[in-house]
Amino acid sequence: MRRTRYRLRVAAVAAALTLMCALAGAVAARVYHGQLLTLLVAGAALGAFAIGFALRNRPAFLAPSVSATGLAAYLLGAIALTADGTEPLGTVIVDALVNAVPRTLTALIPVEPAPDTVIVPVFLTWLAATLACEFAIRYGRTLLGCLPPTLLYGAGLYLVGPNAAAGTLWAIAYCVLAALALAVTAAPPERRPDRDAKVDGAAPSRTPALMGAVVTTTVLLAAVAVLGPAVARLVTASPGDPREYVEPPQLTDIDLNPLVRIAEWAKYPEQELFRADTSADAWMRLAVLTEYDGTTWQASGDFRTAGTVIPGSGEATYTADVEIIELGGKLVPAAADPTAVTDLPIAVNLHTRCLLTPDGLATGSAFSVDSALVQVDAAAAESARPDLGDGATVVVPPGTPEVMATIADYIRTEFDTPYERAQGLADFLAEHYAFDAEAPSGHDLPALGFFLGDPIALGGQRGTSEHFAASYAVIARLVGLPSRVVVGFDVPAGASTVTASQGMAWPEIAFDGVGWVRFDPLPAAGSVPSPPEDTLEKLEEETPSEEEESGGGGEAEDYNDEALEQDADFAEEAAAEDDALPRWVWYAAAALVLACVPLVLKARRALRRRRRLSRGSPAERVAGAWAEVLAAAARAGVKVPGHLNAEEAAARLASLEADIGALPRLVNAAAFAPEAVSESDAKAATAIASGYAKRIRHQVKRWKRLIL
Amino acid sequence: MHDTEQTHPLHVPRRLQQPVQLGAQQAEQFAATFERLAAAVDTVVLGKQEVVRLALTAMFAEGHILLEDVPGTGKTTLARAIAAAVSGQWRRIQFTPDLLPSDVSGVTIFNQASGAFEFHPGPVFANIVIADEINRASPKTQSALLEVMEEGRVTVDGHPHQVPQPFLVVATQNPVEMDGTYRLPEAQLDRFLVKLSVGYPVEAAEIEVLRGTHQRSPEHLPAVVDTDTVAQMADLAKQVYIAEPLYAYLVQLANATRNHPQVAVGVSPRGLIALTKAASVFALSQGRTYIVPEDVKALAGPVFAHRIQLAPDAAMRGANGAAVVADAFDQVPVPLPASAA
Repeated sequence: MRRTRYRLRVAAVAAALTLMCALAGAVAARVYHGQLLTLLVAGAALGAFAIGFALRNRPAFLAPSVSATGLAAYLLGAIALTADGTEPLGTVIVDALVNAVPRTLTALIPVEPAPDTVIVPVFLTWLAATLACEFAIRYGRTLLGCLPPTLLYGAGLYLVGPNAAAGTLWAIAYCVLAALALAVTAAPPERRPDRDAKVDGAAPSRTPALMGAVVTTTVLLAAVAVLGPAVARLVTASPGDPREYVEPPQLTDIDLNPLVRIAEWAKYPEQELFRADTSADAWMRLAVLTEYDGTTWQASGDFRTAGTVIPGSGEATYTADVEIIELGGKLVPAAADPTAVTDLPIAVNLHTRCLLTPDGLATGSAFSVDSALVQVDAAAAESARPDLGDGATVVVPPGTPEVMATIADYIRTEFDTPYERAQGLADFLAEHYAFDAEAPSGHDLPALGFFLGDPIALGGQRGTSEHFAASYAVIARLVGLPSRVVVGFDVPAGASTVTASQGMAWPEIAFDGVGWVRFDPLPAAGSVPSPPEDTLEKLEEETPSEEEESGGGGEAEDYNDEALEQDADFAEEAAAEDDALPRWVWYAAAALVLACVPLVLKARRALRRRRRLSRGSPAERVAGAWAEVLAAAARAGVKVPGHLNAEEAAARLASLEADIGALPRLVNAAAFAPEAVSESDAKAATAIASGYAKRIRHQVKRWKRLIL
Repeated sequence: MHDTEQTHPLHVPRRLQQPVQLGAQQAEQFAATFERLAAAVDTVVLGKQEVVRLALTAMFAEGHILLEDVPGTGKTTLARAIAAAVSGQWRRIQFTPDLLPSDVSGVTIFNQASGAFEFHPGPVFANIVIADEINRASPKTQSALLEVMEEGRVTVDGHPHQVPQPFLVVATQNPVEMDGTYRLPEAQLDRFLVKLSVGYPVEAAEIEVLRGTHQRSPEHLPAVVDTDTVAQMADLAKQVYIAEPLYAYLVQLANATRNHPQVAVGVSPRGLIALTKAASVFALSQGRTYIVPEDVKALAGPVFAHRIQLAPDAAMRGANGAAVVADAFDQVPVPLPASAA
């Protein structure tokens, strides 16, 4: 029976540690394409542990050597499985062994399972499993055995960096497995150093160890619940990423500020940029510009090298086969959001999900882009509030022309909801300004002021999509709407040649729960613009004078304040909704867990009391009764030093004025002549101990009564 | 069956095989006899129940008693009362500086009639020997007791002579008047199982002593037990059960005295054996068939204190063996279950 229990315990530890190793290895697999690496690391964990387990009773030198042989065979198998077969296996093996570490750390994400990218995780998983098996199974040090898979887990997290979700469930599962392995091998009471445990004698109970594990786990969970969100916020705020040491692709000027290309495209509309064969009519984006410093619009965030599959995108609903003709630069046209690119090395801006090819586009280069087209719920957008989560999208540089503020005031006055304001601004620009392909390029604040405010006679109030989009985005920010400028092409479904006339810039506004919504501020073809001054002057006439404002508060002022308050409300709510769970929920959960601690302690004590007084031989029950009496006295503040014998201890306990009768004599018999203790003695001792705690309860401090 | 076990060369005492072999009835009989004997001695030595019981404990543990106290506290009376209560042969030797070893052990004299040397046993050939004022004899004479106290025999002219069994030496000495005395050597002290101090009686007991001075005399004390009974009771005490943890407890106590900073020489293994034997009798005298730590603590002072040789500086500062023993008990945890740490 004892042997069977031992084997079951060892098997449980082995299973838990194997799963821990597999889990820790699979952490890194989250940035790999497909499930192949997960299977490989799981197999490595299983294989290494199987070898270690089988050789656990053999000489210690045998396991490492056999395990090393198994590792070599397994690595060869993994390399053969992931090699594409274009090169001799020997070459592949040498190349993989030499370049495994740097390539694993800097591989495109999602990482394609290739010989040089699978070696490191497989090797580390095998090593962790071998060490874990040696520590935990051969030497019986379970805690030490948990160390290698934990280090592997940490290495996996480092490799993943910010390129995958936090994986909370993985961590919980890992902790549960570790706790299981430790709980199974928790020291039996007779091996614990406290003398209290000796009460159990020859029939030890595992309940104290299990209860200890439960209490410890509860406390740890409470700590995690309290500290977890804060720590997680810290961690996710600055995650380490090995790829940050890889130099990102360098952008040329034309890529840094693609808006300047609008003027060129407008001037030469016949220029053929690329050929496209698409599955649907869509806007193909070249660049998304979110940061404006008053001079140029620029994209935020670095480009990261990626594989054929773009991480974090949904299922592809759109395909485009592209062949470059005259489109230059490095930015790659693609419909939002791209999911996969074939036949072209790609880097992706994880912030805007725009694409870039490090070597630049060349005439004749062909590739295909799959995208998951973004569907905007127009109805939801009309009632949505602005998404103020990204501070960069609402930044307005100093020195905005007065005309912009005037237009912003007009928009705020005329329209109520965010969507109405966005659409109203687009309509305002379309109605009062004219498209002119010959307009000089430029989107700094003076140029935009010229475009918006100067008379038509002087060349103002007309411009290209560059001016319309840039002006719209700045005014939108003045109104309180998060905006950005997108440069791209309107590409129809089917095969077509995209010319420069299709290239344009457009503004987008972010709505909470909806995403970025495209607005078109360009005037309809053939429309005649009405001067904006008329509309704006009408607004000034309706605006009360300063006296009126100081007298009773003008309506416009009130309205503006209200609008600002509304915007502030939007901002607060948007920030609050960032957290999936409100903070009070965490505090409440922590308080609940802490409140449960006294209950757990009381339950543990009740179980121990029951075990002491009702289990075992009469002598053990007498000893249990003695232990209960001493424990109760200790709670009441009277501790019995270990060097006192039973009679002396009884004399010490006399200060509590609760008689323990013949218990000293009985406990002496139980300790020094167990066979002399009869069943009636045990009952007498139990009866004494049962009433003792109640008799001295009034002498126990209140807080001790609560938790002990 | 029992005899077979005892005569087998690889005989393992039954108490090592079975935890408790003494019956409760035997223990109660022992306790009753012990109590009768103690009560008889109590009628002569008033108000000294504890000392009387300790002295009787030493007797049943086959040990010897050293009574040390100022003159007139009843040392000799106690020794004579014990001797009288046991219907064996008893002798008293008044130790003086001119006492010779042969005066104690006996001499071999040439018998002209028979033409052979004949051994004339000395006063040591008795069941109970009262060595009064033992420290007044010379070390040479004191040493004459070494062999007989340890081995129960006397060797004269190369011939060993067995003393009657049971054999008990009750020695007395005066700790105050040291002129013309010889301090007992350590080896001699170690032979005594207990060293007891009678002390002055409490007031009521002393009044009672005065009231019946003429009536209470050891000479008038009827014998309560005979020597055979004493021997049987001593054998019975050897069967008292000692739990395993107590052996470790005893050794730890002895080690504590040996490692005590004020001690030059701690308790010897002989002292440890003596305590075990005494505790066995003490337990049985209370009707118990097994030893408990209380027995050990009750006897450790009388058994250990005189065996401890203090370091010179500690002795100069007035330290004593009893305090060292008390310290040892404060250091060693009792092997009880669930003692709170």
